Parts: sequence; structure tokens; C-alpha cells
Amino acid sequence: MKLWIAALLLAFACYIPTGAEEESEARLLVAKNILNQYLVEGKDLTVEYRIYNVGRSSALDVRLKDDSFPDADFESVRGNLRVSWDRLAPNSNVTHAVILRPLKSGYFNFTSAEISYRTTEESTERQTGYSSSPGEGGIVPLKEFDRRFSPHVLDWLVFAIMTLPSLGIPFLLWYSSKSKYDMPKAKKGN
Amino acid sequence: MAATGKVLVVVALFMLPIIANGDMCLGPQVTSQTYTTPEVIVSTETVFIVEFSVTCKNGLKNINLYAEFGGKTVPASKIGEPNKFQLSLTDEHKKLPSGTYQVRVFDEEGFAWLRKAQRSGENTENIKPLFTLDLSHPGVWSGPYLQSEFVAAMVAIFVWWSAYTAKSRLQL
Repeated sequence: MKLWIAALLLAFACYIPTGAEEESEARLLVAKNILNQYLVEGKDLTVEYRIYNVGRSSALDVRLKDDSFPDADFESVRGNLRVSWDRLAPNSNVTHAVILRPLKSGYFNFTSAEISYRTTEESTERQTGYSSSPGEGGIVPLKEFDRRFSPHVLDWLVFAIMTLPSLGIPFLLWYSSKSKYDMPKAKKGN
Repeated sequence: MAATGKVLVVVALFMLPIIANGDMCLGPQVTSQTYTTPEVIVSTETVFIVEFSVTCKNGLKNINLYAEFGGKTVPASKIGEPNKFQLSLTDEHKKLPSGTYQVRVFDEEGFAWLRKAQRSGENTENIKPLFTLDLSHPGVWSGPYLQSEFVAAMVAIFVWWSAYTAKSRLQL
């Protein structure tokens, strides 16, 4: 058992120096999230990218691109799917958001975005990374969504008008007879 | 000969601020388009997006801009074309209620001043930004206060109640 712990410690000891070496460079992590409560055809789709620099130095010439939204399925409302920053400081994060509009309903697989950057001033090679992928999401047709969530004001008004004769006609009959026969009684009371 | 030398020095001294200001955007003209989250269904957080393009009087291209919003500074992201930028600001719905917000935009120099002031804990309000962007947020709609089914049920109960009281008065 003790030997096992020693082996584990040794393994960590070997790992730490290499880890420290890597961390003198910039290291970016990207989280891609869909912020919607419901994905609805024709309504805004909010995509958020959060980029963290967990390395020890600034990431240079950072380019974020997301080709996972085909033009046939999505319309751009605001924001860009290809952006760049000259420099991202270590231990900082930056948020980028894009608003799209789904043109079709059905299931859509939201895949990852691509990020590329230079890790140090000297390096000429670009480091490429991928964001997390939000996964598959169902885009609800607008009709379906309205049926569930719209206030149905018009429907209720139609319902009220339809119930009006069955309530209104007896009421009018009663009211006319009441006003005819109630008078003497009222007089008697006085 | 000495006179021309003096003149050259004087000219150089006059030129110095212009040369030194070579990387500063003079008289920035800004056009911007904004987006704010309209309803809760669309996003669990309030998202502000400002896309803006800057034209400098001295024709400066490829500048880096930084924005200060709510005490945080973020670099503006560049989008394809020169001097076109995008700013994305997100926070909880509660923290960004409806109203007008101001985003202060700094260039490299202003940003350096801002960082310096932030580090020494000074007031950052006095640092003059390159320009400010106004953002008006009409608020996030989170659905009607009363469900229509509830209103309809209330109306039905009221009609029944008035009929019932009328009937019971009739029997007296």
C-alpha cells in the first residue's frame, strides 16, 4: 500500500515540472453555450462563447471561428461568427455572443467552434483548439410554441362570444320579467 | 547656418506632439448597432451586443479598443473589416434591468491609464475615454403577469356568483 502511494507521488513529481513548463505559455479554454430556454424557429438563438486564458502569458492574435451554423438553417441577427483579438491577458476571460435565428425546426446538433492563437511572442506556429460543444437541441416550430405559450386572447374572446347567447338570452328574459313584476312588490314594501 | 538649425529645432518641437500622437485616433466618428435580449425565453442571461465602426480623422487603421462596463474592462473583438468591432456584455437578468447604459471605450493609451488607476485603487471616472457608447435596454419580457386561463376562470366564477346571488335573492 505504501509503495503504491510512493509510486503515485513519483508520478505527480514527474508531471509537475512538465506542467510548469507548459504553463509559461498561453493556454485558452473555450466554452460554447446556447443560452436559450426554448429553441424556437424564427425566434432569437443566443450563442455565448467564454474564452479563458489559464496560461501564464498573453495569448496573441486570437481568432475564434464557428462554422457550425449553415446559412440554410440559420440567419444572422447580430454578432459575428468570426472574430479576433490581438491579445488576451493571462488569467482573464472574455465573452463573445452571437444572435442567430433558426429558419427550420427539428433537431440540430450544435458542434464546437475553433480557436487558434499564438502561445508566446516568439512562437510562429499557431495553436489550434476547439470549444465545448453544446450538443443536440430540438428547435420547436413556431406554431407548436405558440400553441403552448401564447396567451390565446383571441381564442378566449371567441369562446366568450360563443357562450354569450346561452347565458345572455335567459338573463334578458329574466331581467325583463323581473322589471315587469318587481315594481308592485317594491311599492308594497314602501 | 546656425539660424536654419534653430528653425529646424523649433519646427521639430512643433511637430513633436503630432508625431507622438501618430497612433492616436483623432476625432473618432462612431456608428453603432446594438442588440439587447428582448425576452426570457431567448436567453437565460441578459446579453448586450454592440457592433460599431470607428473612422478616425487621421485615417488610422487597425487600432485596438477596450471597453469599460460596470467596473470590468474587456477587449473589443475585431470583426473582419478594419476598424469594425463587436462588444458582447452578459450578466444576470436582475443585474441589468431596463434603462440606459454607458459603455466607455478606450484606446491602448487610455486603457493603460485605466489599468494604472485600477491597480492603485483610484477613481477611474476621471480618465477620459476615446468615446462612449450609449445603450438603451427596454428590459426583458418574462411573460404576462396573469395567465389568460386564470383571467377566464375568474370571469366565469364572477358570472356564476352574480347569477347565484340573484337567484338566492329571488327565493327570499
